Amino acid sequence: MSNKETMSRRDALKLGALSTAGLAMLSASNAMAAAPTEKDVKFDEEYDVIVIGTGFAGLAAAAKAAERGYKVLILEKMGRIGGNSVINGGGMAVPNSTWQKKYGIQDSGELFIKDCLKAGLGINHVELLETIVKRAQDALDFSIKCGAKWQDVKPAWFGGHSAPRSLVTDNMSGSGVIKPMHEFVEKLPGCKIMTRTKMDDFVMSADGTSVVGVTARINYRFDPKLFSDDIENKTGEKKVYKAKKGVVLASGGFSMDKMFRKLQDPRITPDQDATNHDGATAGALLKAFQIGAMPVHIDWIQQGPWASPDERGFGVAPLLTQQGLFKLGVAVDVRNGKRFMNEMADRKTRADAEYVILREDPKAYPVTIGTYNTFEEQVYPIMEKGLTGGVMKKFDTLDALAANYKIPADALKETIKKYNEDAKNGVEDQFKKQTLKEMKGKEAIEMKGPFYAIRLMPKPHHTMGGLQINTKAQVISGNTGKPIPGLFAAGEVTGGTHGASRLGTVAVTDCLTFGLIAGENI
Amino acid sequence: MRSKKTLFTVGFFVILSAVSFLIASEGSPPPASPHVAMTPELKEKYPIKAHHAKLSLRCTDCHEKQGDNPEDFKAIGDEGCLSCHKTKQYLADRLKFMDALHVNPHNSIHDGPKLYCDECHNEHKPSDNMCLSCHSNDVKIWMRKTP
Repeated sequence: MSNKETMSRRDALKLGALSTAGLAMLSASNAMAAAPTEKDVKFDEEYDVIVIGTGFAGLAAAAKAAERGYKVLILEKMGRIGGNSVINGGGMAVPNSTWQKKYGIQDSGELFIKDCLKAGLGINHVELLETIVKRAQDALDFSIKCGAKWQDVKPAWFGGHSAPRSLVTDNMSGSGVIKPMHEFVEKLPGCKIMTRTKMDDFVMSADGTSVVGVTARINYRFDPKLFSDDIENKTGEKKVYKAKKGVVLASGGFSMDKMFRKLQDPRITPDQDATNHDGATAGALLKAFQIGAMPVHIDWIQQGPWASPDERGFGVAPLLTQQGLFKLGVAVDVRNGKRFMNEMADRKTRADAEYVILREDPKAYPVTIGTYNTFEEQVYPIMEKGLTGGVMKKFDTLDALAANYKIPADALKETIKKYNEDAKNGVEDQFKKQTLKEMKGKEAIEMKGPFYAIRLMPKPHHTMGGLQINTKAQVISGNTGKPIPGLFAAGEVTGGTHGASRLGTVAVTDCLTFGLIAGENI
Repeated sequence: MRSKKTLFTVGFFVILSAVSFLIASEGSPPPASPHVAMTPELKEKYPIKAHHAKLSLRCTDCHEKQGDNPEDFKAIGDEGCLSCHKTKQYLADRLKFMDALHVNPHNSIHDGPKLYCDECHNEHKPSDNMCLSCHSNDVKIWMRKTP
């Protein structure tokens, strides 16, 4: 045997040893990444249905499943019930509703879908919109059955809708649905809600094809100070729960996920505020991708161009700008005193325009300016709030305003002069602003003052993208193109329904409708 | 001079009894529990709120049945707080006057009387008013600093 041969044999052996070790390592890291199967775990408790999340979608699914006689476990990672739903404005668009019939409003499903497609830039999954048209009234009725109270007035007409079709809860908050639904669910036999309990992983069937339960941690404390709570937070004690019928994922969107949202839209810096609650992160969504769920429209993040850096969360600025300053006032770039967008364009166009400025100079928040005539009567009480809280400021002269925001005063005055002239003369302005048309002969910004101003910053508001579901709220697998047995999803964690941009008050409709459908089909 | 002094004394007495009534109305003092020797180091590491210090509360008055080693103590949870402070409904009712403007933190429009106590109130570190996460500019009009 030649030396060379020996060497090569030795090398071969080495290589063999290496690759065995390598394989072992590989499988170890796989085991860490992959969802456990039922053979890997010991179930602590057993239920028919497990619901992840306590917002509109989760509670609707849980209420319906429990009403059908199933034993339901609901997991909520936060201490508080309701996620974004409980801090939402309580508006629900229902096309062809009993309310519209009562108040003599003409509407149609086709018109609703057309409106959604226009805002969604045509990339909406129409079959999901059709499902909303068919079932939104049922979802509304179900919420009433659970104890929700809706104002018995003519439906409100929200931006982008072609007909008044939005109902509002009696307390003008999503809590008007969440609170009674929470109580309804708690009273149903076999139904249990666990807060501060975070779902960690899906548990798969032995063959890895179906969802049969979840692993979770009880006594979990969400920590908003962490960069990624989903990755870094190690609190709580591990439990494993079996779901005989399946799991409904209703974990919401990821507008507060500092890591994941920036990955999708690098304009969103980690310290940027959103309109959402702290717990709106992508953890559970990513776990669904891990077991093969198909992603849809993930990087379409709707941002509110009407928000302000001078308050946290949603605040009062969105009302004072949308029902005020944006209508007849202007928004200017503080560096040159010039307008940079149609203040009444759609959310995406305006947010993009603000970002162009903020990417060049992250501190140069644009300022919107207007006078008293721009405000709608409903926001008069909120004006007080805005001024006392300091989000909105009031100035007697444009010079004082310009000095405060360090805007070149002459340029600002020139901008407003031109804007007012166009409005007065009935000439279309450079940005084709639709609300100036009725101003013919009048000043849009009243030069006698006083002048009101708010600084602007886009805030992530709703993540359009998520899991692909079918019209039965079943999650579709990228491996088979078919539903993943035992996995349903509803609400903001799903994608496709709203396309590129969601119309106002359709989120509640989406969540309650597909939550109900998930509860019916599981 | 004298009448002023008498008035002061009477006033003081009235306030004192009002305070003790308020305290008494939130339950009788906790029963005797194992003793943890208080050291300046412990006091610095686990400071307690002034209103609790005034009552001379000891570690084990709250950390009941958790042994006598402060390093092993766990959060006492709602049950612990409510062993003196009665019920969440009772606490909500005490701030009923704030309901008129929908700003009662113990019975908010969003949550009703259902939040965990330690969602806002901490004992050994500064409290954190949850309302601030959305109403950052209004809370100062509604209420004082969270105790």
